[in-house]
Amino acid sequence: MSADTSARDTELADLLAQCGLGNRAAFKVLYESTKSKLFAVSLRIVRERHIAEEVLQDAFVNIWNNAAGYATQKSAPLTWMTAIVRNRSLDIVRRPKLEVADEDDWFTLHLEDEAPGPEGLLAESRDRARVERCMEALDAEQKQSIALAFYKGLSHSEVAEHLKRPLGTVKTHIRRGLLKLKGCLDA
Amino acid sequence: MKLDSPNLQSRLAAEYVLGTLHGAARRRFHDYLARDAGLRAAVTHWEGHLTPLAGRLREVAPPDRVWTRIEARIDGARRPATSPRWLPFWRNLGLGASALAVALFAVLVAGPQAPREPMLTSVLAEENNTARVVVDQPKNDLLQVKMVKPWKAMGGMVLELWVIGPDGKPRSIGVINDTGMTQIVLVGLDNKLKDGMMFALSKEPPGGSPTGAPTGPVMCKGVIARMPAKAPADKPQA
Repeated sequence: MSADTSARDTELADLLAQCGLGNRAAFKVLYESTKSKLFAVSLRIVRERHIAEEVLQDAFVNIWNNAAGYATQKSAPLTWMTAIVRNRSLDIVRRPKLEVADEDDWFTLHLEDEAPGPEGLLAESRDRARVERCMEALDAEQKQSIALAFYKGLSHSEVAEHLKRPLGTVKTHIRRGLLKLKGCLDA
Repeated sequence: MKLDSPNLQSRLAAEYVLGTLHGAARRRFHDYLARDAGLRAAVTHWEGHLTPLAGRLREVAPPDRVWTRIEARIDGARRPATSPRWLPFWRNLGLGASALAVALFAVLVAGPQAPREPMLTSVLAEENNTARVVVDQPKNDLLQVKMVKPWKAMGGMVLELWVIGPDGKPRSIGVINDTGMTQIVLVGLDNKLKDGMMFALSKEPPGGSPTGAPTGPVMCKGVIARMPAKAPADKPQA
């Protein structure tokens, strides 16, 4: 966890610690305070509500079962939980036919996606501001490709299809974009 | 492939966290991850970097049933294994489908073209009782899966056959063709099917379920009808 642990991070970490001890009331509070954020993450990737519901169920059972081990993780609590949801979503992602949506660039994704909710400004705001600043520094196509992959869980070839660009080009954009992000984020 | 270069580790970890590794590549990465602490650290590092981007998404409230099911699963885990995911599946098992299985069993056994009496048979039908697949076991180690009514488009997904025993846990038999006949030859098949009560077919990513349990929707299912007297290997069930 980063040194500037926010109040919300601490609160979530405490709840997780309680869950690790078998405290069901704490688990309920944890669920209520994160469910809508995490459901949105899964829904974007798996796209079907009933599948996103299953992902959320699996993820929270997983979170409950592994809460005791959370303390040894080096992640912020919400990052840890979001990663569980993303991984589960990506594991079961299935996409009969990739519809070509018009919201296909970072800027539109940017607009479409919500301004932070009442609690959104708290915990991840610092980490988020940092990664968003670094995203802004990327070339337009790098940004676009990375945003599509991250938010929608698209593979290289799906991003290529979506942007109507050659696969090799997209792979290069993503690889170089990530490298640039790393330089910026690790700085 | 060796993943001992930190640069390569970081690159792959980044793609994994970003989500561009799918299917087989993702499964292979999971294998590496399981035995490589350096790679796990690289993944955690990238998760810390990229995951906060998710904070931008507009929140969507899940329905209340999600919490009910989470609680049920946590409580259920204290009892001997039943997989709650698959419980509705049992409850919804249509009588129509079972009747169909029995009828078909009779046809298979009596039919002139039946090369030999199957040891078991099952008709897998959809919720609305449309029969899709017929399964029969002509020999100890052979299972025949016949698609009687194929789905129009699989959209790059595959069909995986599962057998479900009294514990409610699906066990994978294998991926089957989405048209025509699939013959599954499996040593120990008989043992695998011994306690089987029903078959189910789920839709999975190419290569089959990455988790060893069904991940996609149940496409069809059917109870298993057996021929006890004629199959010596098939002992009466407890």
